[in-house]
Amino acid sequence: MTKYILTRTLRSLLTVAIVFVTVFMLLRLMPLSGYFPQEILKETDEATRMTYLRNQGLLDHPFVQLWRFVKNLFQGDLGRSLTVYPKVPIITLLKEKIPVTAAFGFASMVIGIVLGISLGLVMVRFKNNWGDRLGTFFILIVRAVPSIIYLFFIQVWISKWFDLPLVFYKDRPESWVLPTICLSLGSIAYYALWLRRFMVDEENKDYVKFAMVKGLPKRVVWKKHVFKNAVIPLVIYLPSDLLFIISGSLVIESLYAIPGTGGLLTTAIKSQDNNLVQVIVLMYAVLSVIGVFLGDLLVAFVDPRIKLTEGE
Amino acid sequence: MKRIAALVLVLALMFSFTACQNGDKNVNANQTTEPVATKTPEEISNAAQEITDAKEYKSVYRTSFNKSYASFNYFSTAYSTVRSIVTNCIDGLVEPDIYGVYVPSLAESWTANDDETVWTFKIRQGIKWVDHTGADTGMEVTAQDFVDGIRYIGDPLNDAYSLRVVRNLIEGLYDYYWTLDDIDSGEVADKTREEVLASFDNTVGVKAIDEYTVEYTLTSSAPYFLSLIESSMLLLPIEYDYAIELGEDFGVDNEHMLYCGAYYISAFERDKAITLTKNPLYWDKNNVTVETVEYQMIPEGTTSLEMFKRGELDDATVEAEEYLSMKGTEWEGKLIPTERSLSTNYLWLDFSGANPEFNTFVQSENFRKALQYSLNREAIASLRDPVDPQRVLRATINAEGAIYDGNGVDYTDYAPLKAVKDTDYNKPELARQYMEAAVAELCDENGNIKGIEAGKVDYLPVGTFEVDAKLPVTVIYVGTDDENEIVMAQLMKTMVEEAIGTDLIDFQIVCFSGWTYGTVADPYNYDIYFDSLSTGYADPSGILTRMTTDGAENVGGYDVPEYDALIDQALNAATFEERLEKFAEAEAYLCNGAYVIPFISSLRGYYMTNCMPFTSPLTLYGNSKFKGALVMDKPLTYSEYQTLDAAYEIARTDALKNAD
Amino acid sequence: MEVKTNEAKRPAAALNPLKFRAAIYNNMDSEDIGFSNYSYWKSTLRTFFKNKAVVALVALVTGMIVMSFMYPIFSTVDPNKVSMLPLEWNLRPSAEHWFGTDTLGRDIWARAWYGCRNSFLLGFCIACSDVGFGMIAGALWGYNKKIDPFMIELYNIMTNIPSTVYMVLLAYIMNTSYITLFVSMASRGWIVEARFFRNRILSIRDSEYNIASQCLGTPMRRIATRNIIPHIVSLIIMEAALCIPYSIGSEVFMGFVGVGMPVDAITLGNIVNQGRASFTLHPYQMLLPTVILCTITVAFYVIGNKFADASDPRNHV
Repeated sequence: MTKYILTRTLRSLLTVAIVFVTVFMLLRLMPLSGYFPQEILKETDEATRMTYLRNQGLLDHPFVQLWRFVKNLFQGDLGRSLTVYPKVPIITLLKEKIPVTAAFGFASMVIGIVLGISLGLVMVRFKNNWGDRLGTFFILIVRAVPSIIYLFFIQVWISKWFDLPLVFYKDRPESWVLPTICLSLGSIAYYALWLRRFMVDEENKDYVKFAMVKGLPKRVVWKKHVFKNAVIPLVIYLPSDLLFIISGSLVIESLYAIPGTGGLLTTAIKSQDNNLVQVIVLMYAVLSVIGVFLGDLLVAFVDPRIKLTEGE
Repeated sequence: MKRIAALVLVLALMFSFTACQNGDKNVNANQTTEPVATKTPEEISNAAQEITDAKEYKSVYRTSFNKSYASFNYFSTAYSTVRSIVTNCIDGLVEPDIYGVYVPSLAESWTANDDETVWTFKIRQGIKWVDHTGADTGMEVTAQDFVDGIRYIGDPLNDAYSLRVVRNLIEGLYDYYWTLDDIDSGEVADKTREEVLASFDNTVGVKAIDEYTVEYTLTSSAPYFLSLIESSMLLLPIEYDYAIELGEDFGVDNEHMLYCGAYYISAFERDKAITLTKNPLYWDKNNVTVETVEYQMIPEGTTSLEMFKRGELDDATVEAEEYLSMKGTEWEGKLIPTERSLSTNYLWLDFSGANPEFNTFVQSENFRKALQYSLNREAIASLRDPVDPQRVLRATINAEGAIYDGNGVDYTDYAPLKAVKDTDYNKPELARQYMEAAVAELCDENGNIKGIEAGKVDYLPVGTFEVDAKLPVTVIYVGTDDENEIVMAQLMKTMVEEAIGTDLIDFQIVCFSGWTYGTVADPYNYDIYFDSLSTGYADPSGILTRMTTDGAENVGGYDVPEYDALIDQALNAATFEERLEKFAEAEAYLCNGAYVIPFISSLRGYYMTNCMPFTSPLTLYGNSKFKGALVMDKPLTYSEYQTLDAAYEIARTDALKNAD
Repeated sequence: MEVKTNEAKRPAAALNPLKFRAAIYNNMDSEDIGFSNYSYWKSTLRTFFKNKAVVALVALVTGMIVMSFMYPIFSTVDPNKVSMLPLEWNLRPSAEHWFGTDTLGRDIWARAWYGCRNSFLLGFCIACSDVGFGMIAGALWGYNKKIDPFMIELYNIMTNIPSTVYMVLLAYIMNTSYITLFVSMASRGWIVEARFFRNRILSIRDSEYNIASQCLGTPMRRIATRNIIPHIVSLIIMEAALCIPYSIGSEVFMGFVGVGMPVDAITLGNIVNQGRASFTLHPYQMLLPTVILCTITVAFYVIGNKFADASDPRNHV
């Protein structure tokens, strides 16, 4: 087991390094004019721009830049944002933004799991009945209608009907309701959909039928066998989901003016904010590797048939 | 039948607007003159006074912003959004009053020498820098702080970007900056950085004569210097030691800067909210009426409109389409047309591009004129203002109502530009004629364009295109992927192809995402490019000197020596009037030759507000100030606005007269 | 033991030879008894089409596909015809324009069908490539323990390099076209599908009947084709069905990043995106494209689900 964890960690480190260096180098392929917003480009001449780029160290050889970044990283310095928030230390940005997004993410994840699983259970319990149909209808809406349409609808109309604020305010708890609901809709549908499917699959299995015939109470069969087995395929993504609550949603955060991390990566890439992009990519890469690893551990833990072994 | 009737009606309306527009050069004259025309000036003023007196005012102003404030470092950032906050927090030497006349701010008085190259300002005494809690820092705003402002931007390591105008205007600053830069890049080794830094006080034309007197020496006559102080953040004061000590942290948030304006930033939540609180130590605090300004970030425009309707905001912009949907609702009477925009939208024609077909044709004036006359500008303007598109039109490069000579004559009313303004450019027949002339000139009888060969046009990253060296002429329009701009481009395509005919022109649209200037316009990766420029201060040179053959803004890559000569004459003119005359001639030359095609202003839409209009400084070139603003608890109605506007115009005419 | 064998070989003496005759050995017939004529696919289809609602849905989707391909051929309305008269912009539905006109007076009915066709094609291609490659890779991944670590790291690398980074770069070196769009969208979708299939295959592989089958020495190929593929066919159909709305959604995102398609190209993503801007003002502009889009997604989803039920052999009896 120790050996497994060790090799796995080493491999993960390698992955992270590959991801990071690739992204780092790709960023250096971008055209130099991209470092300047339109407004600045029009106001400056070529020479002033080169001066600026030189000051920022962007004209150095990519490997020199890479080495500088790594060196600073080990001294705890993540650098400063380049174009999106000029000169603002990235660590400050992350400290400001992650808690907001994480709070929403965590709340919506809990809601998503609780409601999603309840809905899934209701749908299985009342299979081919009104509960099932209603649930299916909900899932269909969420998955089929382009999200921007129902998100818009929720923001404008639901807020009017229930007299809720249109945007998020830190000091008004009622303004947290709509964004949290919006964020959790997707995962409710996801968990309900797959739980129902997996449980129906499981329910038809011979060992379940046998357990029923044997005379086990239905409740026990469902709890001990059907539900447990159906949850296993869902569990594997749980740690990743939990870690990635800090990544946020671009559309919802922008609709409700939530100052989170939602659009940060995309904006940073589009604005060629190299410093910001590489830090975020590094962070996400580390998190996702950890997430996958924890997912595998968790599955091995809940499903005795699956064992973590190294290359046999 | 109904449609024709409606069309006739609209056309009739348009003409009536045109008629009004020509009668009065005021932007809103067509709407304001009619209801109050029969009243005397006293009656109007009294009516306006009644409205003002009847209202109740609040001390909090709640507004929104849609793009995050990246930084508050007013020297190193070119994001114009930052200026809207900074203008309220850091005062300049002078500021405009509510009529746009420059009045003392941090400077109590000022003088200029005869040719307006040396400007001396007497600084008000006892002005304190305050911190983000409004507490006195013990530091005083002195003449040295203005000198240090220039010192700060003169050092390339401080990354001041948009210093083109100021760097060229202040004596010695250009050389100072580039010497430092050469040292940094290792090109110059015989001087050290310290030596050059120490030479600042002797070489650069800004001096603290005594503690409260600052003197600027300029490289050329600048009668517009006061307007430059209003528009440019680079002429603001700075507490040098404080800023240098903070280094890169200066201005990253509200805690890392000092304030000397009407407000200080008391709270700052990045990408979310900003609170401005009245500065208790402000020199003019009796005229600061609003105690607190609360900004919140609302990225979606429709949301801020909805919030205004629910009373959660004190202002909201209303786009053209939203305007139509609000007709017949309770809000209709509260929609006020946006007053002015100094920014002009125009089309660049690429004289240096890689498309042989377009490149051959664009050299022909006939072809350029064909393009110029093929646009139905009113239809394009209808996208911006469906009710009164006429007010959006603009045929000149510099905006009207922005630059006046000593006699109060608008720059765009100088004869050469007046002619441009009065030309009707919506003439599809004429466009076809011009095009046929160009074709006769440049093609053989089989429709082959002379002197070029078929091939592949490489405009990457925009794209690659095949051209066959035959008619129709392939024209590649490159725009951004902004939804509104795409719609406008598609409309233009239809117009050009219908006016000129698809047998002669093939108009292709490519949209490119991101910051197009650096990837499309600058490297000539286009045939036609849509852009805008705005009049930055009260002098046409701001735009025009950049559009010369080797100017920074000559994105079309044209070569027009006649224009350059006229600009030279203008810069060397003896009087301001002559200068404007020459500039007008040059601008008209560019427009008449269709080297660039200005067609509309950036004016768009309407707004709703709880703010009493004409109570805060008229900042033509800078951003609006909250100083003096009166905030009501109910939205202003359009009829109130009209009365107030009429009264304001009367008062303003008087004020401008007195100022001279 | 011997006794037993003898008994089994000799018919019981009590049988009446008049009533029972020994059958003549027939090779064909013996096969017939040994192997039932049960055909998995035939039964699946039969069960699938037994449901009237499914038949209706399949007909509807087929109808829409046919319509979206036929309309551009037979219609004379130019979906890109821009009107220069502001009066013809944003018209409400009328006899002339069934679903009104958009911001530039283009006919929404026509645009919707053109868009439908283009998005279908694009979505279909992406579904084929994502699910196709994903399934093959997922099957290999799930069945070959040796490549598992490699694939996991490949997955980690690919999903961790933000697609925006290379799409922005791609936009710099390629023209805006359907092919660019397809390449950039399909370049990563397969690995996500592969992981999904891998996980499903793993759980099927380890299920009892397959372990039993393996113990009996059934070759891997046979297990894969007989025991596993039928099980994941329903998943394939569902994933493919969900690829179409997904591709329409990402189309919009691609445009945002700059790997969009030509401006004149009409796709449902384009139309929905344009309509979004004026959603509060002219909701009807969104109505038709959204209804088409939702119908497609819902139909594919339901069909996928029913097919999943139908493809379960236990439901065949």
